[in-house]
Amino acid sequence: MTDNRVEEKVALPTEESRNQSRRAFLKGTAAVAGGVLFTKAASADYDPAKAVEPYKGKEELTEVLQDGPWRKRLGFGVRKYPYGVPTPEVSYIQRRTLEWLTPDSMASITMTPLQHLHGIITPNGLHFERFHGGAPEISAKDHRLVIHGLVERPLIFTVDDLKRFPSISRIHFIECPANGAMEWKGVQLNSVQWTHGMMSCLEYTGVRLSDLLKEAGVKLDKARWVIPEGADASGMSRSIPMEIAMDDCFVAYAQNGEPLRREQGYPIRLVVPGCEANMWVKYLRRIKVTDVPLQHREETSKYTELMPDGTAQRFSWYMEPNSVITYPSPDFRMQGPGKYYVRGLAWSGRGKVAHVDVSFDGGRNWHEARFTSPVLDKAWTRFEIEWDWDGSEAFLMSRVTDETGYVQPPMPQMRSVEGTNNVYHRTAMVTWRVHAWNSKNGGLIENVQY
Amino acid sequence: MFNTKKTLVAAAVAATFAAGSALAMSSNSGENTTAASEKINGKWAANYKEIIKAHDGKYLDREVMDKILGDDVNSLQAKLDPNNPYSFEVDDAIDGGPHGNAQCKVPKAFVEVWESAEKNMKADYVAKGFGTPIAESALKVWDINVDGDGNGFPKVDKPMTVEKGGTVFVQFCGMCHGEFGEGAKGYLPLAVDEDLVTVDFTDPAPMKTIGNYWPYATTIFDYNRRAMPFWSPNTPAIGDAGYYGITAYLIQANAIPLDDEGTELEDDDLATPQVIMKANKYMQNQGNFFCDHRPITHNKRCMKDCPDYLVGDGAGDIHNYRRARTLPDGTLQYNVNERLHEAAPGVGHKGF
Repeated sequence: MTDNRVEEKVALPTEESRNQSRRAFLKGTAAVAGGVLFTKAASADYDPAKAVEPYKGKEELTEVLQDGPWRKRLGFGVRKYPYGVPTPEVSYIQRRTLEWLTPDSMASITMTPLQHLHGIITPNGLHFERFHGGAPEISAKDHRLVIHGLVERPLIFTVDDLKRFPSISRIHFIECPANGAMEWKGVQLNSVQWTHGMMSCLEYTGVRLSDLLKEAGVKLDKARWVIPEGADASGMSRSIPMEIAMDDCFVAYAQNGEPLRREQGYPIRLVVPGCEANMWVKYLRRIKVTDVPLQHREETSKYTELMPDGTAQRFSWYMEPNSVITYPSPDFRMQGPGKYYVRGLAWSGRGKVAHVDVSFDGGRNWHEARFTSPVLDKAWTRFEIEWDWDGSEAFLMSRVTDETGYVQPPMPQMRSVEGTNNVYHRTAMVTWRVHAWNSKNGGLIENVQY
Repeated sequence: MFNTKKTLVAAAVAATFAAGSALAMSSNSGENTTAASEKINGKWAANYKEIIKAHDGKYLDREVMDKILGDDVNSLQAKLDPNNPYSFEVDDAIDGGPHGNAQCKVPKAFVEVWESAEKNMKADYVAKGFGTPIAESALKVWDINVDGDGNGFPKVDKPMTVEKGGTVFVQFCGMCHGEFGEGAKGYLPLAVDEDLVTVDFTDPAPMKTIGNYWPYATTIFDYNRRAMPFWSPNTPAIGDAGYYGITAYLIQANAIPLDDEGTELEDDDLATPQVIMKANKYMQNQGNFFCDHRPITHNKRCMKDCPDYLVGDGAGDIHNYRRARTLPDGTLQYNVNERLHEAAPGVGHKGF
C-alpha cells in the first residue's frame, strides 16, 4: 500500500506446519502446505545517512541520563515466586466478565484481553472461561475416562494410562460459538475483549481420539456418533459425528506445556479442532459411541441458530473464518498522524488462513497484510500491515480468506440472511472508526457497525 | 430471505434421493472417474471431488462452488437435499423421519475431513493394552444419556402424577424458573409462548422455551436429571420418578399435545417414559430445525473499488454506521481501569 518496496513472499515450511498439514494429499509433495510467510524487501542498498532521514530536524535530548534505584541495589532472589506471576504493573491485563450477562458466576463466561496479547499463544492464566456448573476441583488420581457403547471392549483409563499412549501437540484456537454474540443487533461495547474475547489459542498435548476409539475396538460399521461427557456438575455433553471424531480430535492433558488448568478441564478435556468450544468437553469422564445423536440441551435449546423466519440451524460444528484488528482498536488511542503497524488476528475452523486484507475506507479498497507468525491449521495467525495515517477519519476493517477459498463477509450481508436473533456464529467483519485527529475526540478509536 | 423448512422439505422430498447411505464412508471409488457431464439429481456435478482437487482443495471458493452447484450456489433450499455435496442434511431414511432422532453430517464436499477420517479409520491398529476392561453394567450410574429416540430411559416402579411432579418442580425449580416456568431472577423461562418469527432486525429477540423451541421432549428429562437443580444436580432427593414428574409437568405447562386430537396431560396422569415419548412426536417446532447450512455467503475476494453491497452499510455509504449507546452525559462508553476493577459491570467512561 503506502510502502512502495517490491515485496517478495517466501514460504518456509516449519516442522510444526508440516505435521499439521492435512492438505498435502490435495497439493502433492512439492507443495508448500502452510509455511511461515516472511516478507523480504528487494529494495536499494542500505545507506546509513538515508536511513536516519526521518529524524532530520528533530530536537535532540541533552539531559544526562541518571541511573534508576534498581541499578543501585539488588533485585529479588530466585524462588520468590516458585510459580511466576506477571509483573504487577500489567495487572490490568485480565480476563473480564460483564456481570449483567449472566445471573451467577458458576454458569458464566470471562473474556480474554485480545487487545493486550502478542503473537498467537494465549497464556494459561488469560484463557477465557466458560462454565456451565462451576469449575470442579478434581484430583487426577480419582479421575477416570470410560469408552463404551458400540465398541468391542469397553475400557476404563486413568490419567496416567492416557499419558502412556503416543502423544501429539497441536496449536489450535478455541472459540465459544457465542463469541461476538452481543454485537448482532448493533454495537454494544468498545473493546476487542468484548467483541472477540470468548476465544484463546494454545498448544494442547494429548492422545488422539482415533487411537483411543480403536483401542476399544470401535465398531465403525454401525457407529456414527461419539458422545463425550464431563464429570462436573453440568455433565456437559455433545454429539460429535464420527467423521470429525476420527479426523483430528484428541484428549488433552496439557496446555502450553503444563497440566490443564481447572478452568480448562483438569485433568483431561476433549479437543475438537476448529469446532465450537462447547464440543471440547472439559473434565472428560465418558465417551459413548452410538448410532444416533443425543439431542442434548446444549445442541437443541442452546447452540442452535434462530433465523428471522423462525427456523433454526442445528449441529453447527465448524467455526467460520474470522479476523479482527487488535491494534489499533478501541482500547488504544491514536498518537497523531504518522506511521502505524496495524496488527490483528485471523483464524479459520476449516483450516489455515490464506490471506488477510485490511481496508481503511470501510470496505471499498483492500490491501493484503503479511503474516508475522507461523500459519497453522485451525490456529490464530497474526497479521500486520503498514499504514501511514494522514489524520483524517478512517474506517478500519480486516477480512480473512482461508485455504478453502471462503471470504469473510461484511456485517450487513450476514445480517440480511441470518437476521439478528441468531446468538451464535457472528463471524462477519467489525469496523473500527478512527476519529479525525483535528476533531473533538481526535484519535479516538470507536467500535461502529454498519 | 428463505422459506420455512415446512415448505422446503416438500420440495426436497419431491426430489429423487440417490440410492445408498449419505454416510457411507467408502462408496465413492467411482466418482473420480465420472464424466463432468454427469449430475447428481440432475443438478450438481457428480465429479465434485475432481473439481475441488483441481482447485487446490478450495471447496468453498466461489469459482469452485459455481462449477459444482451452478445456479444453486446461493440456494439454501438446495442444501436441504442430502445429496447436495454441500448439504449437512442426512437422508430421512437414516434419521427416522420428521419426528425421529434427526442426524446431520459433514458435507461430502468437505473432502479433506472425509479423507482424513477415512485414513484414520482404515489404518491398522493393535491395542496398546494400557486400559482396563469394564462391564457395561458397571456404568449404570454414569450412563445417564437419554437420546432423541428415548433410548436410555430408566425404569420407574412407582411413577408420580403430573400434579405431584408440579409440586416437585415448585419445590426444587420454582425459585429460579417461576412456579409455572415463567422465569425468575434472570434465569430462563421454560414455558413462555412467543412467536419465533421476527419482521425487523430491531425487534426484540423472541424468548425460546420448551414449548415454542425445543425439538425433543426427551431432552427435558435428560437435561434435568443431568444438570438440575443447578446447585445439586442429579439429586436422589428428586430421583428418577421425580425427574419424570418434573418432565411431565413441563410438558403440561407448555401445552404440548400427546396425540393428533391435541389431548394434553391431566393432573392425575402418571409421569412415565411413555408419556414423554408421546409428547416427543408433537413438539411443535421440531420440523423447523434443519442442519447447518453455512457458509451463507460466497463472496469473491475483491481488492479495489468493491461493489456497493460489500461496502459500508451494504449500499456503499461508509458514514451510515451505528454506535454504542452513550452515557447520560452523551459521552461514549469505554473501558477504564477505575471501572474495570470494580465488582460492577466492566464498562464505564472517563469523559472522552
